[in-house]
Amino acid sequence: MKLSESSFRTQVVFVATGVFIGLLISTQVRSSVPSGSYPSDELAIQKDLIKSFLDDQSLLKSKIVALRDEISKTQDSSKNLGDEKLIESLNDLKKDVGLETAKGDGVEVSLNDGVLVKRDEADTIDQSLIHAADLRDLVNVLRSARAEAIAINDQRILSTTSITSVGNTILVNNFHLLPPFNVVAIGDPELISQRLTDPTALPDLLKRFKSNSIQFSFSVKNNLVAPIYNGDFSVKYIKATNSPA
Amino acid sequence: MKIKEMKIKEREVSLLITSVVVGLLIAVQSRAFTDVSTVFGRDTRADAFRELQILKKSNEKLEDEISDLQSQLSKANDQEQSLKGIRDEIQKYQILTGRTDVSGPGLRVTLNGNVQDIWLTDMTNELLSAGAEAISINNIRLIDVTNGFDTIPNGEIVLNGSILKAPYVFEAIGDKTTLKAAIEQPQGILQRMSQNLTGVDVKVEEKDLVSMEKVL
Repeated sequence: MKLSESSFRTQVVFVATGVFIGLLISTQVRSSVPSGSYPSDELAIQKDLIKSFLDDQSLLKSKIVALRDEISKTQDSSKNLGDEKLIESLNDLKKDVGLETAKGDGVEVSLNDGVLVKRDEADTIDQSLIHAADLRDLVNVLRSARAEAIAINDQRILSTTSITSVGNTILVNNFHLLPPFNVVAIGDPELISQRLTDPTALPDLLKRFKSNSIQFSFSVKNNLVAPIYNGDFSVKYIKATNSPA
Repeated sequence: MKIKEMKIKEREVSLLITSVVVGLLIAVQSRAFTDVSTVFGRDTRADAFRELQILKKSNEKLEDEISDLQSQLSKANDQEQSLKGIRDEIQKYQILTGRTDVSGPGLRVTLNGNVQDIWLTDMTNELLSAGAEAISINNIRLIDVTNGFDTIPNGEIVLNGSILKAPYVFEAIGDKTTLKAAIEQPQGILQRMSQNLTGVDVKVEEKDLVSMEKVL
């Protein structure tokens, strides 16, 4: 009797130790190289640098918009050369490439972080934050619903737009965007609304919305505006292989 | 007595092994729970240094665009050159909007296996972020009107009305070295995919010539 009691105790100890070792092994396997921490003054310098880059960026972008406008006006005023048709097709192309303000009916989507979360202090994987991947998924759904023009916080989304993040900062067209995210989609309101309410279209976003982690809403609106694209077009490597018709 | 002792030892050893396995299983399981929401594994956890790099580079590109536009403006003001300026601009936009066949150096990435649409979205995004000037998937060039992946109830991915089947072949025109480095970097798209997907074969090839047919 005494022997079996002690062997039972040994067994319990063994099981506990075994489970503990198992957990330890897995933690060990999972742990990666610790990331370095910056001294706070270095962080301050970095923040200042980022701010100055962003100020430059705003200035450069407004210069680009002004220059494009000036070029258009100059071209329009020199129409008398018999190149009216050429100007016309140029203007049509500009519309398609995002160099004209898009106006029309559609859907306005609002996305925001959870009410209580602080983006500056939150962990990058916080469920209550809107992530770059959420915006990518949303844009993908809007595109598949045939939206004709899309803008997020006034940044026009083109087929070459990247939506990425660096830590908790979201970059759209390499431009810093902060929540709340106001997404304008010009197109068939019914089709777009249908896709947005489809539970399979944005599963991750809807799950977090239902658990009150994030804020998400949309409404059909008339006369929406998607501003003109104010970034660069890169055509350094791409070439036309046949002469255009 | 000796036999009994040996039996106890045997039992204890097997108990220990089982328990270690149980411990490992618990850990794997709890990890699986945290991975349910894939959205959190899809973005890099980069630092301020990378942010500065991106901003510096994007400002340089904006400055280049400004000097291009300035030369365009001077052409527009010059009677002799204005027509050529307009033609050049038309050609540039035709290239960008998929109205003409295009080619250039670039990268081909082949993903073979069961891949969800979010990873196609993310791969496209990663290539664009690394400076891809045009992208096609299984020979469909992505422009505004062809873009947007849709998953139909049987799990198949639809793009521009066509069902995409594995292997998913991405072709991107741009600086092939930069594109390759971007997707293969630590914590980059390929590493994140391998952490979240199993059984997907990946092939990355640098190409001197990638061609895409016009869309419109």
